[in-house]
Amino acid sequence: MTDLIKPLNLRTRMLAVGLLLALLAVGMGIRLAAARETGAPTEAISPLHPTFALLDPEGINVLESAGPVSTMQTCGQCHDTLFIVEHSYHADLGLSDILTGTQVEGQAWDSSTGRYGQWDPLTYRYLSGSGDERFDLGTPEWVMLFGARHVGGGPATTSRIGVPLVDLFVQASNPDSAVLDPETGLPVAWDWEASGVIEMNCFLCHMAAPDNAARTAEIEAGNFAWANTATLNGMGLLNQDGVGVYAWNPAAFDGEGELLQEYVAIQDPTNANCAQCHGVVHTDANVLILPVCGDLSYPQTATTGQVIGPGRILNSGVNLSNKEELAFAWDIHAERQVQCTDCHYSLNNPVFYQASAVNRPAHLLFDPRRLEIGEYLERPDHNFARGQSAQFNVAPDLKGTMRRCDSCHEAVDTHAGWLPYAARHMATVACETCHIPQLYAPAIRSYDWTVLTADDQPLTSCRGVEGAGDPVTDLVTGFQPVLLQRTNVDGDTLLAPYNLITAWFWVYEDAHGNTRPVRIVDLEAAWRPDGAYPSEVLVAFDANGDGRLSEAELVIDTPEKEALIAGRLEAIGLRDPRIVGEVYPYSINHNVVGGEQALDDCETCHSADSRLAQPIILAGYAPGGVAPEFVADTNVPLAGEVYADDDGALYYQPDPQAESRYIFGHSNVAWVDRVGGLLFVGVLIAVGGHSGLRAWNAMRMKDAVKARFKRTYMYQAYERIWHWLQTVVIVLLLFTGLVIHRPELFGIFSFAGMVVMHNVLAVLLAINAFLSLFYHLASGEIKQFIPRPRGFFDNAIVQAKYYLGGIFRRAPHPFEKTPERRMNPLQQMTYLVILNVLLPLQGLTGILMWGVQKWPQYARFLGGLPGLAPFHTLIAWTFAAFIVAHVYLTTTGGPQPLDSIKAMVTGWEEIEVHEVPEEEKKPVRKPKTEEKK
Amino acid sequence: MKKIKSFWILGAVGILLIVLVPVISFWPRPTAVSGDPWANVPQHPVHTSHADIVQGPFETPQDVTRACLECHPEAASDVMMTTHWTWESQPFEVSWRDEPVTIGKINQINNFCISAQGNQHQCMTCHIGYAWSDETPYDFTEQANVDCLVCHADMGIYAKGTYGNPAEGVDLLAAAQSVRAPTRENCGSCHFNGGGGNNVKHGDLAESLYFPDQEVDVHMGGNDFLCTDCHVTQNHEILGRLVVDNVTIDPSEQVACATCHTGTVHTDERLTAHVQSVACQTCHIPTIALDEPTKTYWDWSTAGLDRPEEHFTYLRIKGTFIYEQNLMPTYLWFNGNLDYRYLLGDLIDFDGPTFINVPSGNIHDPTALIFPFKVHVANQPYDTQYGYLLAPITSGPNGYWTNFDWDNAFRLSEPITGLAYSGHYDFTETWMFWPSTHMVQPADRALQCDDCHGENGRLDWIALGYPGDPIEWGGRFQRP
Repeated sequence: MTDLIKPLNLRTRMLAVGLLLALLAVGMGIRLAAARETGAPTEAISPLHPTFALLDPEGINVLESAGPVSTMQTCGQCHDTLFIVEHSYHADLGLSDILTGTQVEGQAWDSSTGRYGQWDPLTYRYLSGSGDERFDLGTPEWVMLFGARHVGGGPATTSRIGVPLVDLFVQASNPDSAVLDPETGLPVAWDWEASGVIEMNCFLCHMAAPDNAARTAEIEAGNFAWANTATLNGMGLLNQDGVGVYAWNPAAFDGEGELLQEYVAIQDPTNANCAQCHGVVHTDANVLILPVCGDLSYPQTATTGQVIGPGRILNSGVNLSNKEELAFAWDIHAERQVQCTDCHYSLNNPVFYQASAVNRPAHLLFDPRRLEIGEYLERPDHNFARGQSAQFNVAPDLKGTMRRCDSCHEAVDTHAGWLPYAARHMATVACETCHIPQLYAPAIRSYDWTVLTADDQPLTSCRGVEGAGDPVTDLVTGFQPVLLQRTNVDGDTLLAPYNLITAWFWVYEDAHGNTRPVRIVDLEAAWRPDGAYPSEVLVAFDANGDGRLSEAELVIDTPEKEALIAGRLEAIGLRDPRIVGEVYPYSINHNVVGGEQALDDCETCHSADSRLAQPIILAGYAPGGVAPEFVADTNVPLAGEVYADDDGALYYQPDPQAESRYIFGHSNVAWVDRVGGLLFVGVLIAVGGHSGLRAWNAMRMKDAVKARFKRTYMYQAYERIWHWLQTVVIVLLLFTGLVIHRPELFGIFSFAGMVVMHNVLAVLLAINAFLSLFYHLASGEIKQFIPRPRGFFDNAIVQAKYYLGGIFRRAPHPFEKTPERRMNPLQQMTYLVILNVLLPLQGLTGILMWGVQKWPQYARFLGGLPGLAPFHTLIAWTFAAFIVAHVYLTTTGGPQPLDSIKAMVTGWEEIEVHEVPEEEKKPVRKPKTEEKK
Repeated sequence: MKKIKSFWILGAVGILLIVLVPVISFWPRPTAVSGDPWANVPQHPVHTSHADIVQGPFETPQDVTRACLECHPEAASDVMMTTHWTWESQPFEVSWRDEPVTIGKINQINNFCISAQGNQHQCMTCHIGYAWSDETPYDFTEQANVDCLVCHADMGIYAKGTYGNPAEGVDLLAAAQSVRAPTRENCGSCHFNGGGGNNVKHGDLAESLYFPDQEVDVHMGGNDFLCTDCHVTQNHEILGRLVVDNVTIDPSEQVACATCHTGTVHTDERLTAHVQSVACQTCHIPTIALDEPTKTYWDWSTAGLDRPEEHFTYLRIKGTFIYEQNLMPTYLWFNGNLDYRYLLGDLIDFDGPTFINVPSGNIHDPTALIFPFKVHVANQPYDTQYGYLLAPITSGPNGYWTNFDWDNAFRLSEPITGLAYSGHYDFTETWMFWPSTHMVQPADRALQCDDCHGENGRLDWIALGYPGDPIEWGGRFQRP
């Protein structure tokens, strides 16, 4: 009977909650509509969540047992806590990778993709596996060190063989039940039965004011059993009898041992809840002050400079350069009340869940069959939607589950008004690139674990801040993120902003041939045995001989210093110690700014000093001269180059071309411009020489017999209009193309305007060309362009000889120009090439380049923009050269240099009178001629 | 030849058109905000110096006025049409009185110095006329008593004293020769000192507006506006009314932001939607009493005690005060009118505070907008037997400020106000709402989303009649 009733009860309870919610909303509306006169209503605390009893791990009311609260038992009275823990990466943190033996891509010594099992050079301690030669970090100490940012459950309750931690033998040989004794460097056994474990802590994220500090204090003290209870500190539920000793306050409970309603402060997680572990999230009315740079209690802010704040930056308490001008919010989504959980929602939350287009049948836009609220509340998935770049390794199964910018924003349409190729930009540039142009908080730049400071810390540096590490007086300058090409889970690539953190550290080979990072205890033994630098280290490093090692001195910058430390590491038993340097990309996806602050100046990217190719400093020096390498398991391949400047500072220089990107205005293929330029200049020189010779000869031969000219109607009106329209369009196309190619040389022209103009002109050119083709075909004038095969080459040679010789002697043109036969063989040849080869090629490449926004696959087939664009440029150079020659040759036509050009304006041309061969006397069109007077 | 020439020019123009028309029509252009607000800002008239025009000598201030009227014959009769002169509205009906009533400084009370009636000695310092004495009824038809100088003279030369007459020692000729269009100093000499001192009454009108910097007011500081640039004046009738001395105001008599800021002024669609329910002032006046504090509480009941005096906390003649600076406004629905204005003789509310005025509007009133108010709370004397507020005589030789005798002050006012005094008095809390419309901030300093929406929002949605934060529950014109 009870078996039947229990699930029903649960279901009914959930339905009741839903009903209550609806009733309450209506009730509140009615009551408060009339409440204006009566003043502000009293604040209701969790009006929906029913009261409940707090149970200990045995399921006994804590008032009775006086034990710590068990979230699994307490919340498990209604919610399926087992389901929740099993569906929570926040609890798991990579443990399941170890349990299932999943191969991970990261470092050779990593055992999972998560914080539990993946080594991080910032936190450094290495989670030792069983059988490691030199034991570093066991599970109990992992919990103590990292538990402050772990919600509990997972590795805090379960061992790496799947057995509950409390069931483990108390033995030092198992890293799950051992802690490092820093004195001896050897493991010591840990008794989980005595310390207790940390169940997944519901309170931490679901209560309005959890006491994370009290919880952390219990965790760091190894008093795991009471950690979750300590979270409730300060809510009136507990009386604290001295540090770490908690007793339940009976006054907070009713006669049946359930919490009184006013203590039930359960809520949806707010930004403040998330902030406890993730980074600076400004949620209260106080002035925002940033923590000191690199404070790993705020990892998101420390590693990327991201600050989730709704307030204007200028109203913050940060000592920020140019602050007065920053009259916008740290994060526009925070300002507009988008909560963390609105994007990072529970994956089965029926409010947010929407099957992706890939997974739902094509005929369905929305599937209304979804979880009821009650079902969801019973078994809410605690895996949360995530993007695909930030914290790249963690929760790989969940990558890309989150809706991205373009899932909520109509990106293409809202940019189309001013941004040419809006769709192309959206397809290749992540929204963040323009909408997170700058970070206004400092971020970690480098970690150097090859040395140890007097505090047994690595040497660290930050970017975006100037000063000595004082959060109040240091000048925060912020920094511009580096743009890297990210590969999405669907294989698409996008440019997106990143911070790069470079770390150097020592590794060694252990007895089993495994490479491991050198333990901190071993570093201390090498660098600072007995808490001080030994004399040989001081001799080698203390350049100014003051007996202390300053940060500037504490650098391994010579092979001797490196050998000294390596030798000291070998002396304590480490094989083959060597320095490794790695660059870690940290994706930047928050701190979004609105359109007014976003990058919208085309030249930011489309210019010689494009932001896409801006180098970013990695570190002030390279310890041991080791050039750092990009870590492998990320979605940003290293395509650029790491280089050192004259002072030894290391930079990363992105290389868009190496990433197969062609950025108009920035990218250019040097040989194309060189060859094109040579062609153009060559023609100019030839024209100059030729005209000079002509002029010189003309002066010499003043008295030469002048040819007889007659005035002929050479060009029909349409031909002239067609020609001049094409002239204007081609010249403008060349000019706009040049501006697009090298915008930095033409600062006054709007890049976007030039791009649009270029496209519009291209369409005009095409229309004009087709109309003219139609005209020439319909009227038969096309024949003008078609060379006669008979004697063509001979005639061409005759014409060439004329240009090379006869013209200087004032010899008559070898071929008479008539309306029905206007072109000489050379002209016919030239136009044949231009009209049949160059123009179509230029049009085709142009159309394909334009088409990358609609059908990039065709362009890709021909090498994409990096292949098409330089080709287009080369042909443009050819056209430019042609125009010079073409215009020059018009001066050779008539008695006066400008006669031919005038003819193309008026239609009437002065042409030399030749004896007309008999067989060509049949005119197609009766020529209108006047004898020249 | 000529024909040919014109033909090719035609061709050239045609070619240019073929190229230019499509290029221009496709040229990328960002979305622009409509309307140029400067188009409606009045041009200042060219100043005509009166130094050589005005000839003395002047024995009395009335002589000055007569001289003015020689060239500006309509001026006095125009001024006499305005409440600057009458201190009283035209009669109108209200629901809680049988007879038509009038409202004005001269016959009603406010929440500060209580009543001007019988206190002409002090209060007339800010009347636009001369010689409004205690004894005889004022002659509202005497043109020579119009004080041209208070609005037109250089306030470095001219000042008013008791009964509205010029202060002792004013050089009337110099003052008369200095006349020009009114400046901030002319308006400010009274309006910045309402309630008896700098910024005491309004909270948004302070002496900091004489030479404001950009952060105090975007119009007067950032763009160097004068009062009269918005309060446009025709025939001495000045646009803009204060609701506390009226019950209903025709919108055409009011200054509106939208007069200059026409069309769609926000680029963000959601901000544009706000305009249906939120007054411009609400976002663009985030705080009241910038720079200088304003009085938010005045307790008359503690007056007359022998306590140490301090301007901002206690004065023997006035009682206890609270001044506040950078004050967050109180937000109410407001359609520009009042639901109620306390009229002399009205019963007080014995269960709670008595409202001197109640702004009209609620969430169901489509003409009402959420509007920022300064709330001034006072503790004022009332007659415990008759149940109405009392209007004591404070100034003058027998007033409360001289001999600190409340009983006498109420008895003195009996014949003046016509309000019987039973001989028993006490003090009761009174509230007055002052709409805030000055000290406007530009977009960069206006409220932003999170100021109202979300956890720390400043609006009480439930009290305003919303089911909850409209960012989640939908606005009154949109359902979620």
